[in-house]
Amino acid sequence: MSHDNSSPSFLQHHFHDVKQQYETSKLGMWAFILTEVLTFGGLFVAYIVYRSWYPEMFINANLLLDVNKGLLNTVVLITSSLTMALAIWAIQKKNKNLSLVMLILTFILAFMFLGIKYLEYSHKFEVGQLPGEYYSYMGPEIAHINNPHIFFSIYFIMTGLHGLHVAIGMGLIGWLIYATAKGSLHSKYYTPMEMIGIFWHLVDLIWIYLFPLFYLIG
Amino acid sequence: MDHQHHITPLSTYLTIATTLLFLSGVTVWVSYVDLGAMNIVIAMLIATTKATLVALFFMHLLWDDKKLLTIFVMSLMFLGIFITITLLDTNFRGGVNPEVQLPIDKRSDFYDSLPLTDTHGNPVDKHGSSHPEEDEDHH
Repeated sequence: MSHDNSSPSFLQHHFHDVKQQYETSKLGMWAFILTEVLTFGGLFVAYIVYRSWYPEMFINANLLLDVNKGLLNTVVLITSSLTMALAIWAIQKKNKNLSLVMLILTFILAFMFLGIKYLEYSHKFEVGQLPGEYYSYMGPEIAHINNPHIFFSIYFIMTGLHGLHVAIGMGLIGWLIYATAKGSLHSKYYTPMEMIGIFWHLVDLIWIYLFPLFYLIG
Repeated sequence: MDHQHHITPLSTYLTIATTLLFLSGVTVWVSYVDLGAMNIVIAMLIATTKATLVALFFMHLLWDDKKLLTIFVMSLMFLGIFITITLLDTNFRGGVNPEVQLPIDKRSDFYDSLPLTDTHGNPVDKHGSSHPEEDEDHH
C-alpha cells in the first residue's frame, strides 16, 4: 500500500485519491458504453438496409409480433430503470435497506422482462416464425409475402443480443444485492452500483428503439 | 470523502419515469394512426426524446463532466456515419447499372417446400379448411 493510514480501504493502491479512482471508473465505463453503441449500431444498420430494401415484407412480418407483450416489456424495463436509479439515490442518502429493496425490485423486473421474452420466443418457436432456413410459418396473413425469414433473422439477433444484456445485467444486479447487504458498498463508496446502473440504463435505452422498430411499424 | 457527488432529487427521477411511461403510451397510440411515411419519423422522434431523457437524467450525463457526454455523442456520430455511408451504397445502386436499382425480390427456394399453415403453424390442406378470403383482410 502506497497510501497512509488515513486513506479509505476501498481506494486501490494505483490511484492517487478517491476522486481520481471514481473519475477513472466513470471514463472507463463510458468508453465501454461507446463500444456497446457501435456493437448494436451494426445491427441497426442491418435493420435499416433490409427495411429500405423490403419495406412491404417488414410491415407484414411485423404484424406477427405481439404489441401488448412489447409494451408490457417497455413498461417493465422503464420501471426497472427507475428502481435502479432509486437504489443509487437511496445509498447516497445512507438508506441501505431502501437501496436493497430497490435493487431486489430491479432484479425481479429484469426477471419479468426475460419471462415475457421467453413467452414470445416460445410461441415463435412453436409456430415456426424463426430466422433463416428454420423459418416454416406459412399462415394466411403472410403466405403471399416473400422472405419474412429475413425479418425474423434480424428480430431474433437484435432482441436476442439485447436479452443477453438483460441476463448479464441481472447477474450484475444480483452481485450488487450481495455486496450491498454485506456492507462493501455504502454511502461513501458505491461506484460499482453507479457503473452497473449506467449499463442498465443503456439496456433500457436500446429497448426504447427496438420496441417501435419491431412492434410498431407500418 | 474529498468530493461531493451530485444527488439527483427524488422528484426528478419520478417525473422522468412518468414522462417515459407516458411517451411509451403515446408512441403505441400514434402507431395506430395512419400518417404514411410520417409514422416512422414520429416513432423515432418519440424514441429519441425518451433516449435523451434516459441519458441526461438516469445516466446522469446532465451533471457529469462534459467529456462523458462528448464520448456518448461521438459514438452516436460515428453510428450516423456508418448508417449514411452504408445507405449511400445500398440505396443508390441503380446509378451505375439500372438493373441492380431494386434488390432481387424473389422468394427463397426453401419456401417452395413449405406447406401452407394456419395461424398456429400447423399445415393445412390447400383447398380445405383454410380461408383464402382472410388474405385480403391483411395488407
